[in-house]
Amino acid sequence: MSSFAILTDVTKCTGCEECVLACKVTNETGLRDTPRKWQGAATDLSSTRWTTIARTGNRHVRVHCRHCLEPGCAAACPVGALHTTDEGVVAYDPSICLGCRYCMVACPFRMTRYEWGSANPRVRKCILCYEKITGGELKQPACTAACPEGATIFGARDDLLAEARRRIGDDPNRYIDHVWGEHEVGGTSVLYISDVDLVQAGWPSQLPRDAVPELADMVLHTVPTTFVSVGMAMAGIHWVIKRRQKLAAEAAAATAAGPAAAETVTPGDEEQS
Amino acid sequence: MSENTATNSRLIATKAALWCLVGAAAVVVGVRYALGLGLTTALTDTTPWGMWIGFDVLSGVALAAGGFVLAAAVHIFGRERYHGIVRPAILTAFLGYLGVIIGLLVDLGRPWNIWRPVFQQNLHSPLFEVAMCVMLYTTVLALEFAPTALERWRRAQPVVRLLRRLVLPLVITGICLSTLHQSSLGTMFLLTEGRMHPLWYSPLQSPLFLISAVALGLGMVTLEGVVSAWLYRRKAEWQLFGGLTRAAAVVLGLYLVVRLVDLGVRGMLGHAVDGSGFAVLFWLELALSAVLPILLFTLPQSRGQPWAHGWGALLVVAGFVLHRADVGGISHVAITGEAYVPALTEVVTSLGIVAGLALVFLFCVERLRIWEEPPAAPDLFARTAFDPVGRQYIGAPWFGGGQRAVLALVVGAIAGVILVEAQVAVRERTRAAPVAAPKNALIVRAQNPSGPGHDFELVASSGETPFDAGVDLHPVILIDSGGAERYVLFEHEAHQGRLGGQTACALCHHRNVPLDLATSCAQCHRDMFETTDTFSHARHETALGGRESCATCHVDADAPKSRAAAKACDDCHRPPRPDATLVRATIELPAGLAPGYLDAMHGLCLRCHLQEDAAAGEPHLGRCATCHRNRFDDKDELIRRTRSVARAGGSGGPGLEEAKGMNP
Ligand code: SF4
Ligand code: SF4
Repeated sequence: MSSFAILTDVTKCTGCEECVLACKVTNETGLRDTPRKWQGAATDLSSTRWTTIARTGNRHVRVHCRHCLEPGCAAACPVGALHTTDEGVVAYDPSICLGCRYCMVACPFRMTRYEWGSANPRVRKCILCYEKITGGELKQPACTAACPEGATIFGARDDLLAEARRRIGDDPNRYIDHVWGEHEVGGTSVLYISDVDLVQAGWPSQLPRDAVPELADMVLHTVPTTFVSVGMAMAGIHWVIKRRQKLAAEAAAATAAGPAAAETVTPGDEEQS
Repeated sequence: MSENTATNSRLIATKAALWCLVGAAAVVVGVRYALGLGLTTALTDTTPWGMWIGFDVLSGVALAAGGFVLAAAVHIFGRERYHGIVRPAILTAFLGYLGVIIGLLVDLGRPWNIWRPVFQQNLHSPLFEVAMCVMLYTTVLALEFAPTALERWRRAQPVVRLLRRLVLPLVITGICLSTLHQSSLGTMFLLTEGRMHPLWYSPLQSPLFLISAVALGLGMVTLEGVVSAWLYRRKAEWQLFGGLTRAAAVVLGLYLVVRLVDLGVRGMLGHAVDGSGFAVLFWLELALSAVLPILLFTLPQSRGQPWAHGWGALLVVAGFVLHRADVGGISHVAITGEAYVPALTEVVTSLGIVAGLALVFLFCVERLRIWEEPPAAPDLFARTAFDPVGRQYIGAPWFGGGQRAVLALVVGAIAGVILVEAQVAVRERTRAAPVAAPKNALIVRAQNPSGPGHDFELVASSGETPFDAGVDLHPVILIDSGGAERYVLFEHEAHQGRLGGQTACALCHHRNVPLDLATSCAQCHRDMFETTDTFSHARHETALGGRESCATCHVDADAPKSRAAAKACDDCHRPPRPDATLVRATIELPAGLAPGYLDAMHGLCLRCHLQEDAAAGEPHLGRCATCHRNRFDDKDELIRRTRSVARAGGSGGPGLEEAKGMNP
């Protein structure tokens, strides 16, 4: 498969949480969540709960890492512990992670979680069962396999986009004509179709307009130029000023004695500011 | 003229306080390494950066900016008159960067990987650039500082001479690295657009950080000069500070203009006058960091006055520390809605790091030539305290600097232990996730039992469906399901009927509290996730005859008086669970401990449901959604609807008003 993606149809989800259970069993995160009390409800995403169901009104919306096409988290990670694989999965390698938690600050969807109670903590989030699928242990992520309603399905991103369009086309009265994740923050591999606006159902309302890493990348491109030009400018200024001071001193020495020379240097010095 | 360092009471008190802080911080840091960040910080998944990043790292780097600014002024721009304060500025910068590294080692979750960026480079990460700059610039600063540290050591003279010759390249490299580093700290916050309050998010973050770092560096050098002059009772370099603050005023003006114009151009100025707390914070920060200092440094009444230098510099420093904290964390809170208030342990750790560095600074000032005129050393001609011939102290203080430091350190460490203990106590207390007692409610029974699990569907409220169409009102119980106002809808009567009527109570209501027929589950299983203690020691003690009665339960006189070694409950009480009970103890708990609510309820309900599911071929019965139903998650909505139904239809069932809690 060229790219790993998930399509969730919000109208089909009954909120039974079997995807949550399957995720917990497969990733061995323990069957019960005891988050720190001041960190929100037990049913929120946490280091032991990589996917959950957001419940607003009568709708249930699966929440898990969106596997952005241009992920803020992976751009943030200084060592590439979080990185995009060839299949478009945003995967994680704890062995090189510093634990700086910049990835958490840079995720526009706020999906990354941390093992706060551990002396050897890891960043936790959905990794689309990447290693288990590429290792042949699973055919598809545990969550999509577990869904009894077929509300969340696995496939290649292009196929799923076509499927989403087809469902919307077949039943235009049922769906809002929008595939969430198609374009948001540069596109994500986790797609949603729904009959209600997802911004009312737990989506962050203040998403950045463009892909997260774009602006920072632009600035980072200027780094070598800045380094060299600041260095040259400093050397240049140093040379000019030293030369001026020397000339001034010589001129002063030519016309008067030592103490007078010192005085002429100071005003010239002032002009530079 | 400065005072003798050994008898200066200001200095002694200050050092003692600093050692105290170091001691307390050391304890906290120890706990942090042993037990993780959770216990020692108030950080959460949505506010993963806090005081240690905002203060130790962001502000630490910015405060160190004085080093490169002054080095540039003297070595590049030839402003020789500042020569005298280059050394303290370089020392501050060096210590500032050491502080950043120490702060990072404490804050990083896996600090043993701190060297990784050298080999695993992600060139797209602003933090990678930051990491490289920290490493390289700390090295440069160490080389710039080395001659000062080594100049008195004769054997090191060749090295000192070499480094002196390299001053210019070092200074230029330092300036380049600092330019990149100060601005890349800002670049880091270009990745956080969706998470920052618009008053602080800016595409111009990098230049803003650079400009403010220059101003902050100038302020810091001034402040440090003023404070150490006070501490060592020596004369401050007022004329020099005048020049520094004049320059600072210009830079601050530039900062102010860029900041406001940027907000204006992007149309975000509205946020600054919307009266919110964040608008207030914004103006406070701007006033402290730029507006007030500019006024102090330029108005004819205050310009050039010593007090104006001191206070202005203090404002600049405080204002920009606040700015870094805002960008690094506080402005994120605005969007994520999560409250972050640094834990006391975080504050103590940050202060402890600063205190440790301040002690090193004082040490350097006293032992090396940091200032043109170093503070007076202890009087060499004073009577010696220790008589080496008679091997005894002669009328001298038996309590010298070393002992004082150790004592302060120990006092601080004790305070640290108490602090951590207190924090643990508070955290453990907030751990309990209480359970709400079940509530009675009325529900409309649906007409369309489209399979098991759907036969309760609340079809509509009175406005939508005619009630004469065979819809009957039905009393049910709403059972707490995981807090967050979510409920399981439970058909009590139907279950009772199916299980044998009035005789069936004990099947589920096992081991009731004395004289109670049907104790609510929530009464003993009080915590959603944790086991709860249901055993009252005091009550047993009174009932059995007070102090004389210990041996009634603690039969083995030699064993410690623990729960495990005591008699089991059912040695005296009739078996807590009747024979036919549906409750099965799956986990062996010590006497008197009830399992968590979630385990208890799932254990009780699911066992039957799964069995019947298999036996009767009802594939939905064991599924989560059978009990955790969509439409009833919203309790208010449910109650609103059932109320209007009750009013419209009327029924024999209990009214909502009187039905508060199901048990007597
Ligand atoms: S949703 Fe967040 S964690 Fe997932 S890939 Fe995107 S930025 Fe990374
Ligand atoms: S916490 Fe780990 S995975 Fe996240 S950015 Fe830092 S090094 Fe990368």
